[in-house]
Amino acid sequence: MSLPPELDFWHPVLTSEELDDAPKKVRLMGTDVAVFRLRGGGSVGAVLDRCPHRGASLSNGTVRDRCVVCPYHGWKWATDGTGQSPGNPEGSFRTQAFDALESDGAIWIKRAGTAVPFPRFDVAGFLEISRMRRRVNAPLEVVLDNFIEVEHTGNVHYVLGYDTQRLGEVICRVETTPESVRVYNQGAQKPMPWVLRKLFRYPPNAHFVDDWVTHFSPVRSVYDQYWIDRLTGERGGDFLRNTVFFVPVDAQTTELFVFVYAEATAWGRFGLNLALLKPLTAWLGRLEIEADVKMIEGLADKSPEIRGNLLGRFDRGPLAARNRIRRIYRRGVEGLESVRNEGGED
Amino acid sequence: MNETATDVLVIGAGPAGLAVGGCLKPAGVAFELLERASKVAPRWRDHYERLHLHTFRDLSRLPDHPWPLGVAAYPSRDQVVAYFEEHARQNGLRPRFEREVTSLRREGTRWVARTRGPHGDERWSAPRAVVATGYNRVPNRPRWPGEETFSGRVMHAAEYRNGREWLGKRALVVGSGNSGAEIVLDLFEHGASTSMCVRHPTHVSPRDLFGVIPTQVLGLGLGWLPPKLFDRLALPMTKRLVGDLSAYGISRPERGPMELLQATGRVPLLDIGTVELIRQGRVTVYPGIERFDGSDVVFVDGRRAAFDVVVLATGYHAALEGFLDGAERLVDGKGHPTAFGEEHPDAPGLYFVGYRNPPTGAIHDIAKEAVRVAKAIAHAATTATTTTATATSTAKSSTTSSGTTSGATRSAADPADSGEKKGART
Ligand SMILES: Cc1cc2nc3c(=O)[nH]c(=O)nc-3n(C[C@H](O)[C@H](O)[C@H](O)COP(=O)(O)OP(=O)(O)OC[C@H]3O[C@@H](n4cnc5c(N)ncnc54)[C@H](O)[C@@H]3O)c2cc1C
Ligand code: FES
Ligand SMILES: [Fe+2]
Repeated sequence: MSLPPELDFWHPVLTSEELDDAPKKVRLMGTDVAVFRLRGGGSVGAVLDRCPHRGASLSNGTVRDRCVVCPYHGWKWATDGTGQSPGNPEGSFRTQAFDALESDGAIWIKRAGTAVPFPRFDVAGFLEISRMRRRVNAPLEVVLDNFIEVEHTGNVHYVLGYDTQRLGEVICRVETTPESVRVYNQGAQKPMPWVLRKLFRYPPNAHFVDDWVTHFSPVRSVYDQYWIDRLTGERGGDFLRNTVFFVPVDAQTTELFVFVYAEATAWGRFGLNLALLKPLTAWLGRLEIEADVKMIEGLADKSPEIRGNLLGRFDRGPLAARNRIRRIYRRGVEGLESVRNEGGED
Repeated sequence: MNETATDVLVIGAGPAGLAVGGCLKPAGVAFELLERASKVAPRWRDHYERLHLHTFRDLSRLPDHPWPLGVAAYPSRDQVVAYFEEHARQNGLRPRFEREVTSLRREGTRWVARTRGPHGDERWSAPRAVVATGYNRVPNRPRWPGEETFSGRVMHAAEYRNGREWLGKRALVVGSGNSGAEIVLDLFEHGASTSMCVRHPTHVSPRDLFGVIPTQVLGLGLGWLPPKLFDRLALPMTKRLVGDLSAYGISRPERGPMELLQATGRVPLLDIGTVELIRQGRVTVYPGIERFDGSDVVFVDGRRAAFDVVVLATGYHAALEGFLDGAERLVDGKGHPTAFGEEHPDAPGLYFVGYRNPPTGAIHDIAKEAVRVAKAIAHAATTATTTTATATSTAKSSTTSSGTTSGATRSAADPADSGEKKGART
């Protein structure tokens, strides 16, 4: 069976808490996969969620002896894809397996055996704020568009955005490499409640900075959000580092997998960080994402094609990203290799 | 040959040399800071890209130099370099770059350093010298039979930058210290199929206890206890948090972590995710290497496997004998100087900073030692009218407070006395 090339790359599919003793069904590019946690701890496994015997859904099965057991006739499938049939002890069977890994509080899968980098995000010494999945009824490209331009933040967002009146002054710098797109935005912040200004240690003469880098194997963006004193260029206090993975469930559905971290220590400010900063930032993050999702799902045109649209200076990021989605992400390992060997046009 | 005379020679502009310079400057002591490379803290610039401080930011800082805002608890390599650069700038330190000290020796009442480099051969002299060339000056490079037949590449961790070129290749990391474990992670993340050699039983602790409190804090809080008692307290906790790894090829030593550290200098592994990869079967653990054979590495338990690259995270040594005249009289069996934070009893006017690696972190220790050394030097320099300070007078002065010198009393990087400093964070 041939799997879509996108599955060559590691994707987060469940949070660690969501995977208990029972296998779970997840969907990637229209392919259903049964993910399971091995008994006795250690690792996780994943196989195609369709028993090669007579098509039962293995995610309805159970886990035993480091295998997932089919609920229909009890054939057992190991993490490497080899099968055993209690009724056919002589036979040797195989199914499509996936590499599975638990890391950063998430379960990750990819096609077995592909040589691809693991999409690490650097949060050494950061405080974990929250981790969540959110399904969006829109194609990956359209969802990503929203997440790599700031023009919408004045209208759509509650707090983490730019002042709509002064959008014209917002600096928007786009830097690209064959493998990545960075968008640096800096400008006047939307009016922010006093409590939040205190909590985030808003500096004097604050400018809000949104510094985003997107990579494409798989598609994910790391968002550094912080404030600087626009006169001295000095950083304000705490900042956020959000990593969002754009996981294609199928052609019309995308799952946002969001990791929110703050540059703060858990014990800092006499527990204020844990007691206040963490829940408040988590709540705020959720609020802003819901606002984005509502806007995206209500679009009149959700076609991934934007050539032919009228575009402005903030749309350079989305354009550069689409090009890389096509050249790298949609071609899997082959795309990654070609861009590494040859670089590529913009 | 031109000779420059001054009050103090400081050799090495890494964290230790910078810390000493930063303390001497306000005390009004004249000194020359001699550095082989062309920038400060060159070792940190050359470390692999993924490296972060594995000790907590606020417990790893130079005297009177807080970390800037916008840096997380475990700063990245580039942030560490920027921090040292800023320290040098703010303290007005102007190291003499591209001066490699080829010899340091006592001539009469003065220490004389000879340097070479693009500026030609030069001489520098002073009644006192501080050696701050680091305990990791020269890589330890073990050799194995059959290495010349090996078709892959062998490199020391010192040469390793990132795992990019090893995508889809088979990599073996030798050594289970902190850099070995992090290079394993880095190779895995770059898509290499990665294995690790664990040659000795090793203590493993999570870097953060319960995910939030740096383990280093435990070391600081309890470090004054006798090693055996410390181990009695700390071991059950780390055992609970890390669990039994012997099934994966990592066994616990018989001696406790602190005892082992004091006996062998081996620090416990502060795990940042490598152990989880091992548990999940993504990283294979092998014992020591016996020999190389063509494309294969043969291990002491008889197993063999093919590799494209072998990274030796086998540590470093101070190699003081490389330039210091009579070094053998001043160092212990591990090659580390036998005096810390004070004048060496067997070498008048000679000080060493940065040759211990306590569990509380090298930089933390350096900051404390630098303050003591600078104080002792400032005191000796102001009391001695001639340049012959005797061993006894300076050794004593390091314990008495030096009221005579203005800024020589600077605070060490202890959390207790850094709390109210500007920018110090909690
Ligand atoms: C991978 C790695 C990770 C580490 N992580 C940490 C950590 O997280 N926390 C921590 O506290 N410590 C850590 N350390 C320990 C490290 O030793 C200290 O952080 C620190 O760099 C020590 O400072 P130093 O000045 O003593 O030595 P170095 O940084 O080695 O500096 C010595 C300087 O002397 C110069 N020099 C050497 N020989 C000569 C010569 N003959 N002539 C002139 N100049 C010379 C060198 O060029 C260099 O600039 C780490 C070490 C390594 C290898
Ligand atoms: S369908 Fe799965 S065992 Fe028969
Ligand atoms: Fe948005």
